[in-house]
Amino acid sequence: MDFLESTKMAVKTLTVNKLRSTLTMLGIIIGNASVIAVIGIGQGAQRLASEQFESLGPNVLFVAPGSSQARNGPRGDLPKTLVLEDAKAIASQVPSVQGVAAQRQSLFPIVYRNLNTSSLVVGTTPEFLSVRSFDIAKGRFITQQDMERNTQVVALGSEVATRFFGNQDPIGQEIRIKGITFRVIGVMQSKGAFLGSNQDDSVYVPITTQANRLTGRTSPYGLDVNIISIAAKNEASIPAAEFQVTNLLRLRHKITGDDDFTVQTQKDVLAIVGTITGGLTVMLAAIAAISLVVGGIGIMNIMLVSVTERTQEIGLRKAIGASERNILIQFMIEAVILSAAGGLLGTGVGIGAVMLVAAISPLQAAVSPVAIAVAVGVSGGIGLFFGVVPARQAAKLDPIVALRSA
Amino acid sequence: MSNTTIIRLEDIYKIYGSGETEVRALAGVDLIVEQGEFCSIMGASGSGKSTMMNVIGCLDKPTSGQYYLDNVDVSHLDDSALAHVRNRKLGFVFQQFHLLPQLSALENVILPLVYANVPDRERRDRATEALTKVGLAHRLNNRPNQLSGGQQQRVAIARAIVGQPVVLLADEPTGALDSHTTEEILQIFADLNAGGMTVVMVTHEPDVARRTRRIIWFKDGTILNPALAPTELNQIMAVA
Repeated sequence: MDFLESTKMAVKTLTVNKLRSTLTMLGIIIGNASVIAVIGIGQGAQRLASEQFESLGPNVLFVAPGSSQARNGPRGDLPKTLVLEDAKAIASQVPSVQGVAAQRQSLFPIVYRNLNTSSLVVGTTPEFLSVRSFDIAKGRFITQQDMERNTQVVALGSEVATRFFGNQDPIGQEIRIKGITFRVIGVMQSKGAFLGSNQDDSVYVPITTQANRLTGRTSPYGLDVNIISIAAKNEASIPAAEFQVTNLLRLRHKITGDDDFTVQTQKDVLAIVGTITGGLTVMLAAIAAISLVVGGIGIMNIMLVSVTERTQEIGLRKAIGASERNILIQFMIEAVILSAAGGLLGTGVGIGAVMLVAAISPLQAAVSPVAIAVAVGVSGGIGLFFGVVPARQAAKLDPIVALRSA
Repeated sequence: MSNTTIIRLEDIYKIYGSGETEVRALAGVDLIVEQGEFCSIMGASGSGKSTMMNVIGCLDKPTSGQYYLDNVDVSHLDDSALAHVRNRKLGFVFQQFHLLPQLSALENVILPLVYANVPDRERRDRATEALTKVGLAHRLNNRPNQLSGGQQQRVAIARAIVGQPVVLLADEPTGALDSHTTEEILQIFADLNAGGMTVVMVTHEPDVARRTRRIIWFKDGTILNPALAPTELNQIMAVA
């Protein structure tokens, strides 16, 4: 008897009791669906994170004050060693760098007539637009002149502009930040959220104005900044830029021991996010995989029951010429068909879940071919593995005993 | 040994357990069945007639002794070789029919041919022919539960002969049937035998045994009389 014949026979047997076959497959269906959904959604989360980092601007590096160890400590303890002069030095002395924008930011109350809000006030330089890939929608951004003259001008994030001015033109209007009057010079193009924080709920003022009028200067080293964003010339020059910026700052800060600043590339940050989401995905997939195993045990259980129920059938088949091998193969095929069919159905359900998530959430969940291959392969393997015990039991049945069991 | 000997048993022992608990189901059986015979195996329950049937049917291996089936020594074959022998040389009919409920009459009859790797189109022809022989040409596509007991046993007989075995083995084939149907089934066996088929039947019913032409009388694991004429049955029954 050949393989095709055994398969036909197994399909016939399984379709006789459709309800039981379906219920038996359920464990595998659920297991497989959850593996594919979890991996698909996990990869979607990773993809979303990396796309958001790319939206920070191409080839960007960040310099923040404090060593990487210090940065893990309480936030208020960060040294104010990173200053605007550092940013200027990087721009003028590091050849692999295209643009540099320093930022210092604080949350301040903002008032327009009787409306008030509390938004992030970002003090920055004209280069911010190009380095961080922001665009101005209306009016203009901060200029070099504004910097030199400490002018009280502000560019509004799109959400702040809408909240205060609705459909009105905000250009030329005056708002008060921390009680100080600023004239609106521009409105930013909407940028969307970055890892959950709304980038459109910020306003931008000259960094000098921010330091001199709003916060006051508190660092003995100069005009301290929270972060320096650096655009490397191209992707290939990122490592060189990282190296040169680090060296320059060490020289400027006269560092002999630990750095008092941290240089991070997008890749570094992305790697951290990737590690977290990757770890979560693996953990969830492992839990889902357990349900696959449970499904396999379900198949073994039902197959064992089936062997007991079909004792007479097995005895008869042996009497009319089935060898142990024939019986073994027949029952193995039944188990594999159950698990593989369950695997395929589960894959369908999993793909459906992934597409649903992709449709209703910003997570760009996508079906991973690897996940499908693994899930279907594993469930087929589970059928083989858990099918062996019942199939061997069936094959070893003594035909005399089997035929007498009536 | 003539070329027409189908079954030859030489000093067959079948022993279960050992020592104190040893049971000799068969204790030195010698038997020859020639081509074209129609014989029944009789004996009290526990006399070893069922074990005898299992050995002849290659479902059980003798503990010792030689068994030649169709002039081939089958007493020491392994499982897959025995399966092959059962498939090609033997046809079984059981008391409980043992039809597969999910298959039609035709599919049930085809089953031995599937294990024999007979080509697809030939299977249907041969199975139809076998069912026609037992008078069920009009019931090919009925499931067992749509057939009467006598019809089910006829399907089982068709399944037993479809592989053109050298011997047809029947274990209490009429045990589950009423007297009228029993008569029908016995007539089929008689017709098959008339067509040249060797038939060996285990039964405990004298009326059934009387329809065969030779009775093999078993007692305590040995053959008490290897060739009782049906007419002599009453005497031996009285003694037993």
